[in-house]
Amino acid sequence: MTRHLSMPRLQAYLKDTELPARSVLWPVEEAQKIIRYGSFVGSLVEHHRTLDRAMIHARAHIEGCERSNVSVTSGTVILADRLTGSKGRFTRTWYAPQGGLWGCMIYISTLLPRYRILVPLAVGIACCEAVREQGAEQAVIRWINDVLIDSRKVGGFLAENFTGHRSREDYCLLGFGININNSRFPDELDQIATSLKNRLGREVDIEQFTYCFLAKLCWNLGLLYYREQRELEAGNSDSADKHPLVARWLELSDSVGRPVVFGFDVRENPQYRATVTGITNDGGLLLKLDDGAEVVEHSGEIRYVKG
Amino acid sequence: MTREIDFDEILARYRSDPYKYIDIVAPHTGTVSYLVEKGNEVEAPGGEWKHIPGTSLFKINRENNPKTVNAPINGIISEIRGECEGRFVEAGEKLLTIRHPLKKKDIIESILKEVLYLFPAPESAKFFFSLDIQSRFDKKGTRGVTIRPGEEVFTMSLMKRDTPVTYTGVEGIIHSIYFKPGVSIQQGEPLVGVCPVDKLGLIQKVITRVKAEWDAM
Repeated sequence: MTRHLSMPRLQAYLKDTELPARSVLWPVEEAQKIIRYGSFVGSLVEHHRTLDRAMIHARAHIEGCERSNVSVTSGTVILADRLTGSKGRFTRTWYAPQGGLWGCMIYISTLLPRYRILVPLAVGIACCEAVREQGAEQAVIRWINDVLIDSRKVGGFLAENFTGHRSREDYCLLGFGININNSRFPDELDQIATSLKNRLGREVDIEQFTYCFLAKLCWNLGLLYYREQRELEAGNSDSADKHPLVARWLELSDSVGRPVVFGFDVRENPQYRATVTGITNDGGLLLKLDDGAEVVEHSGEIRYVKG
Repeated sequence: MTREIDFDEILARYRSDPYKYIDIVAPHTGTVSYLVEKGNEVEAPGGEWKHIPGTSLFKINRENNPKTVNAPINGIISEIRGECEGRFVEAGEKLLTIRHPLKKKDIIESILKEVLYLFPAPESAKFFFSLDIQSRFDKKGTRGVTIRPGEEVFTMSLMKRDTPVTYTGVEGIIHSIYFKPGVSIQQGEPLVGVCPVDKLGLIQKVITRVKAEWDAM
């Protein structure tokens, strides 16, 4: 249950847990700056027992604000104990019963396009970090942002952008679904999905997990602003240095080196086989085809196959 | 679309010069070193997924970071700015021109692109029709779907982030589709060509006439 979540408690979590943890690798002042950049995350937390789809609810909320000429609070998080009409990409099923973390964050994007492109990476990293922190150390990211434990999906994300009809704000809806204490899946998902409870053999405190996930989302989105500000300040928008978010993704992902099948909708229309050789600074997947040619994909998905 | 179409003028133009000229510009600042000469034949990207790069045209080196630029299309190097060899150039500076021979199909497409309203890709990404538009295609078939300004016609997909794209052109029938689902489109490239309903007959006339006249040549 996430009904008692609050902004002050998230702030306390950031200060007491996230900042000290990040300060091991980052100078404290820089870490504070990054957290300040991402601190819009969870500015408002809305809890529902049941929703159809959190994304639809978020859109309706935005429409209502637009009609009333009221600003939408960036970082508003909409959570539900269960979703009755949830879905994945394309026409795929996403099963969201009681026990998981289901929701969406409304985020008003102010990043330049070349930094905004990494937002989907940030949400996958945040989930993988949070899942590992619960003890599932084997959690990994599969490009772009699927989080897997032992080859089964534990977390999936959707990102949708649209422009407000009146305000012209660039709204980004970040939908998230993380299997935590829900342990049973319908037949079609049984072999490809798992939950933290199934893997850890114990229940996880969802409220605590949510603070942890949102704190990590705050950090990883904050990193995007931090890097943007530094590059703009230095007048170097095409830096060859690895973006810290990309570097972190590489640490958490098992995609590099894997033979894969690639497709825009890989389940319905697999396009080709290749081996993942890396990731570009703008999140593109580097693939080497059987004939030695190299391609970069910025959109689509992969499935691991045997070499 | 409001102006009258002078078929004779358009056809005469293509008949006298059945080529398309593609200017290749510097993608960013840097020092240029050519890999081709005027008159060289160049190849387009190849392979099943167009993943084999076209002929290497030049290298551009910025801060010890050399980048090879390849031909996006086949043809002959018709112009090369030799004075740029070994020189530092600005981003966007024209470096050479490729003369690409047009086929009948290309010419029909080129003429259609002159007479249809072309709706461009707002960003470099992959595109697909919105669910509503796709279901209208499924029901009514090709050239049976009318779109209006303000309608969400496409979904743009980039890094698993989907953005609805609102159509802002003239009301009309989707006559030509220039993208395939799952294939990346560069920013500014046309996604669809739209024809107002009352001009459909005219468009058909263009196609029929080009086919007939080109075959007679």
